[in-house]
Amino acid sequence: MIRASIIGAGMTKFGTHADLTLSELFAAAALPALDDAGIGPDEVDALYFGNTSAAISENDTHLGPKAASQIGLAGVPTQRFEDACATSAMATKHAVAAIESGLHDVILVGGAERCTPASGLDTDEMTRVFASAASRQYEQPVGLTFPGVFALLTKRHMHEYGTTRDQLAEVAVKNHHHGSLNPRAQHGQKITREDVHDGPLIADPFHLYDCCPFSDGASAILVVSQDAAESFDSEAVDITGIGHASGGVPLAEQSAFTATQAARDAVGAAYDQSGRTADDVDFCEVHDCFTGAEVLATEALGLVEDGEGGPAAAAGRTALGGDIPVNPSGGLKAKGHPIGATGTAQIVELTEQLRDEAGDRQVESPSVGLAHNLGGEAATTVVTVVEARS
Amino acid sequence: MTAGEVPTYAEGEGLKHESWARALRDGVLLGQECADCEHVLGTPKSVCPGCSGRSLVTVRLPTSGKVFSETTIEVTPEGLGDRYQVGVVDLGPTRLLGRMSDEVEIGDTVAFDGFVEYEDLPGPRFVAEPTG
Repeated sequence: MIRASIIGAGMTKFGTHADLTLSELFAAAALPALDDAGIGPDEVDALYFGNTSAAISENDTHLGPKAASQIGLAGVPTQRFEDACATSAMATKHAVAAIESGLHDVILVGGAERCTPASGLDTDEMTRVFASAASRQYEQPVGLTFPGVFALLTKRHMHEYGTTRDQLAEVAVKNHHHGSLNPRAQHGQKITREDVHDGPLIADPFHLYDCCPFSDGASAILVVSQDAAESFDSEAVDITGIGHASGGVPLAEQSAFTATQAARDAVGAAYDQSGRTADDVDFCEVHDCFTGAEVLATEALGLVEDGEGGPAAAAGRTALGGDIPVNPSGGLKAKGHPIGATGTAQIVELTEQLRDEAGDRQVESPSVGLAHNLGGEAATTVVTVVEARS
Repeated sequence: MTAGEVPTYAEGEGLKHESWARALRDGVLLGQECADCEHVLGTPKSVCPGCSGRSLVTVRLPTSGKVFSETTIEVTPEGLGDRYQVGVVDLGPTRLLGRMSDEVEIGDTVAFDGFVEYEDLPGPRFVAEPTG
């Protein structure tokens, strides 16, 4: 079932944008999205804006009206979303519901984030900001970081299934290759397995190249009803399912470390809504904040059997040209991860791929794409199914 | 469980973070056990995640267990200094995150060994226990 449609998509290059304020950065994605749809701000009747960390990192809150005012939307209803790294997928979920209910007709959805040292905070300061998504009372005092969260999950996966460091490295090599084909990727350089192994340790088993970078960036999409989409000139794609589930905090109390159960629950709901199964998915963008996270995601989404995520990556099954291309954009790993912009950036990639506009990284004639956006210690996951119009 | 109710730290309203942390500073590891379904929690909640019951009794947690997963944090948050190891400890009825005093691996036996402190908040610390 078509729940809503996307008529415009835009994003900045991810990387360093220290010379732009948060609102200016958002404009650099929102205006291209409006232009892509061929509409002006006067046709937009709500802004759903995502940002995760500015309240802590920049002493900047109440961001909806600020972003709206920057792009000629002052006066429209606007709200800010914060759900850790799943922030703008969450904004998309609520936008779709608002379209379905008739609350709004044309919603600009997106996010912006400034995380690079050039934008303000050094690595140890930003590591502390990221760790704010962990339990304040039961995890932060122990010293858990976000590389640490996924290291704990991944080492358990290695223990239970025999996943190897070489297989993890293959995820990084693959996503850097994809990133080299994406002009908006923060890391456009190709790397080798040895580069991954030789990098400095961040939290074992993760070396530097197992980890996504700190990024500045923004992304935006325009969401309308299926019927309304036909009145615009741009090529629409359709959202046919959005599943959303949460997992327990603290992480230690989650039932199975290798399952990322919230992702399984979210994708189950998204498949039910869309009438699709994992076999129907032609490609996906998954939340590869760390190489191990992509392995866990491909299994949770049902794209490979449990325990086969590492071997599948090593065999090239998840590369462009493989049987299930994962992260053709380069993923968080190579494209970058400006936290609050990541969810809608995944949707931007789905939109461009489904329109056959992805250039050198184009998946061959896809009709069904899936985005998996995860927040915190796998405690929030939103899965979105987007389809081309036949 | 090594003991029943622990009234010293959780009178009346049941276990909250304040009393959990106060006990931890005193070298006592507290958790909760659901009176209805016996689900055990290493960190205080208001409702049992197992059965939705609200009769959560404060209990002393087991003080040793096996390392369920671990990692050594090399890039640390501001204020936490140099590298250190954290681990999830399987205490039997529940799991708990803690700082590891020694280099440990999955499956190693560790014992509760006091607390570490960050930004005026305590977190449990575990030390390797010789096996055999």
